[in-house]
Amino acid sequence: MKRGYFYLFGFLLLMGFDTLAQVSFKYAGTQALPVAASLAWVLRVFGQPWVYGAVIGYIGAFFTWMSLLKHAPIGPAFAASHLEVVSVMLLSVWLFDEHLTAPRVLGAIAIIAGIVCLGLAESREHVAETGSAQA
Amino acid sequence: MPAAPAITHLVAGLWLLNVLIDTGGQLAFKAAAGDPHAGDGLARWKHMAARPWLWLGVGCYAIEFLVWIAFLSLIPLSEGVLLGSINIVAIMVAGRFLFGEKLTRLRVAGIVLVTLGVAIVGLGG
Repeated sequence: MKRGYFYLFGFLLLMGFDTLAQVSFKYAGTQALPVAASLAWVLRVFGQPWVYGAVIGYIGAFFTWMSLLKHAPIGPAFAASHLEVVSVMLLSVWLFDEHLTAPRVLGAIAIIAGIVCLGLAESREHVAETGSAQA
Repeated sequence: MPAAPAITHLVAGLWLLNVLIDTGGQLAFKAAAGDPHAGDGLARWKHMAARPWLWLGVGCYAIEFLVWIAFLSLIPLSEGVLLGSINIVAIMVAGRFLFGEKLTRLRVAGIVLVTLGVAIVGLGG
């Protein structure tokens, strides 16, 4: 039971860091508009605070991921590490007045189903590789 | 808020660039980490740092960071993260060809579903 809480907290933390990174990327990009392949654009990107939110999100996600992988089963961990699309979508409705159009909702459902399949595939492979050692 | 703008050539180009660089970076890290002569602990890191793969991976990530910011600044975030899911597919397919990783039926199903989802979002907006 304790282990269950550890995973749940870990996955939520991972999702939180990933979400922070994506939202920060969006803010950073919007404030650095217009996009140009120039040093001026790069300086605009690094000249406002949001880009550092993205860096913190990335670093936080990296260390959370590495700690989770020590104990968590790889399949669910893989799936959870990509499920930030859900939290990011919901947040962008609230923060950026975006709309959950039918194609976005349908596409998200297909993508999440695909991620779950890939997570299951990882689990099975992992069991196949380590199963003999555990048996 | 007005409706989302259509995907322009610039957005499509940045998306493609992001997939290519992300996949290249992941493969470079895989090549660096999978070197059987690398040893352990600090020696392993020294071994990796003396070869180009690790640095190629780091370079890819640095460029990808900027490409992704440029990409997201041009389209809605909800659409951007969904379109970015294609990276998972690209890496698995590349791993199949370069490292001979298995594509089981469940993996193929996952790849097809994610690709389908990205196509729906990309074409439908």
